[in-house]
Amino acid sequence: MTTQDVQRQPRSTAAARPRNPRAPRRSGNRRTVVSGGVIVAAVILASWQFLPGLTGTPSYVVPALSDVVQALVDPAAFPRYLSNAGTTLTEVLAGLAIGVAIGLVGAILLAQFPTAYAIAFPYIVAIESIPKVAVAPLFVIWFGFGLPSKIVVVVLLAFFPVLVNTIHGIRGVDRDQIELFEANGASRGQIRRKLLIPAALPSIFSGLELAVANAMIGAIVAEFVGAQHGLGVLILQAQGAMQTAAVFALLIILSALGITLNLLVRLARRKVIFWQQDS
Amino acid sequence: MTAPTVSATPLISIAHLEKIYPTRTGDVHALSDVNLDVRDGEFVAIVGPSGCGKTTLLKILAGLTGFTSGTATIAGSPISTPRGDVGMVFQKPTLLPWRTILENVLLPVELHRKVGATEREHALGLLEMVGLRDFADKYPQELSGGMQQRAAICRALVHEPEVLLMDEPFGALDAMTRDALNVEVNRIWRETSKTAVLITHSIPEAVFLAERVIVMGPRPGRIIDIVDIPFGRERALDLLGSSEFADLSSHIRTYFEVTA
Repeated sequence: MTTQDVQRQPRSTAAARPRNPRAPRRSGNRRTVVSGGVIVAAVILASWQFLPGLTGTPSYVVPALSDVVQALVDPAAFPRYLSNAGTTLTEVLAGLAIGVAIGLVGAILLAQFPTAYAIAFPYIVAIESIPKVAVAPLFVIWFGFGLPSKIVVVVLLAFFPVLVNTIHGIRGVDRDQIELFEANGASRGQIRRKLLIPAALPSIFSGLELAVANAMIGAIVAEFVGAQHGLGVLILQAQGAMQTAAVFALLIILSALGITLNLLVRLARRKVIFWQQDS
Repeated sequence: MTAPTVSATPLISIAHLEKIYPTRTGDVHALSDVNLDVRDGEFVAIVGPSGCGKTTLLKILAGLTGFTSGTATIAGSPISTPRGDVGMVFQKPTLLPWRTILENVLLPVELHRKVGATEREHALGLLEMVGLRDFADKYPQELSGGMQQRAAICRALVHEPEVLLMDEPFGALDAMTRDALNVEVNRIWRETSKTAVLITHSIPEAVFLAERVIVMGPRPGRIIDIVDIPFGRERALDLLGSSEFADLSSHIRTYFEVTA
């Protein structure tokens, strides 16, 4: 941290009062948004259904919506889709759990020890600038075709946004709040537990949202590179067999997974950061 | 015998205090030969332009920052680190948004011992004193700026410190809220008989609240005058209109007139 001797930064004059948390922020008239949304969705789905036929696009390029739905609910394929989705989900969740834990612990340590942060910073930037999916083949060599190599790729993609966002959150804590704790003789541990971590929660959750998106990418790419199970494997198989409708069906399952995870994170965010109802 | 409540030794004693800190563009002489004694139970206000070192002085009293040479003691013991017998009010309320008002007020206690029913009752009593008892279980963002700052004052008093330090506590509030809070601070000071040190930009605020106004000048930060304010302990808003008040204020203001 900076020395306490430096002159106080000029403070913002008006003590910005947070908006009343009970007052919801309206993004447009609710009824207009709902009906507009329904119309847009209907147009998209209808075009998907009828445009391929009308334009004479072959079904192996863009299959009609009904073909995709048929491929999705195909009783011969659906159980296989589900069990492979389970594999991908396992990779994503395990990788997220480990990655988020590493990111959080690493950030808390680095934010508290400025020297360590200064030393680690170039490596953090270096790791970030490698396209991590390009490292996936290496992990398959090291950890095999099973779950571990996929989890490692997910960890690598998930930990970084959590690390960076948490560090920013901790370092951005209001100087006056820290002085309040110091003036009252708080220990480092108390400052960490009762101030830095709760104050960084909004940033931590932003990192978590990015981590979830990254984790999905990591799992699929790792499966592309070399795996026996998972949605990524099925997509490659369907592609090899020119079953484009199946590829779309798998993409729908994949999107559903991603959207569900994202919603869960946002729900948790609202519950945990009850004092800040912005996003 | 003239002032029987005043103890022989001052509660806060500052002598030959110097504070120099290095910056990229050279050393800054923040405080130069500052000498100040504050009696037990006295209300002192420190006024001065930006950069006169008044905030640095307050931080030294709070144990938040060190000094280069000289002595600074509270109740006879040298100030080196933050101490339990000082309560601090910042310019911003600095309440933690994830804690209720009561939990915020109890923070200084909670950092040192388990909070029990006694402590909770005491904190509620303080909130009662500033008219916030009904808001004890609300969150800070549900309160107005003035109410938040009242809660911050309760927090500064909850561990029953000897000294109350206030760093421009009402600078961010509108004029009317500010007047009301000044009356309140005067009442709290009388009821709790704390020793109070107030930093402020506002000369009327200093004259209204303090028994002595310490006038500081910049570069290097030093005390250029100490003005006794002979209005007794209880102050009411009609004081602001009196000619004596105006005279004292304009006397202090002469130190800050720009000669150019």
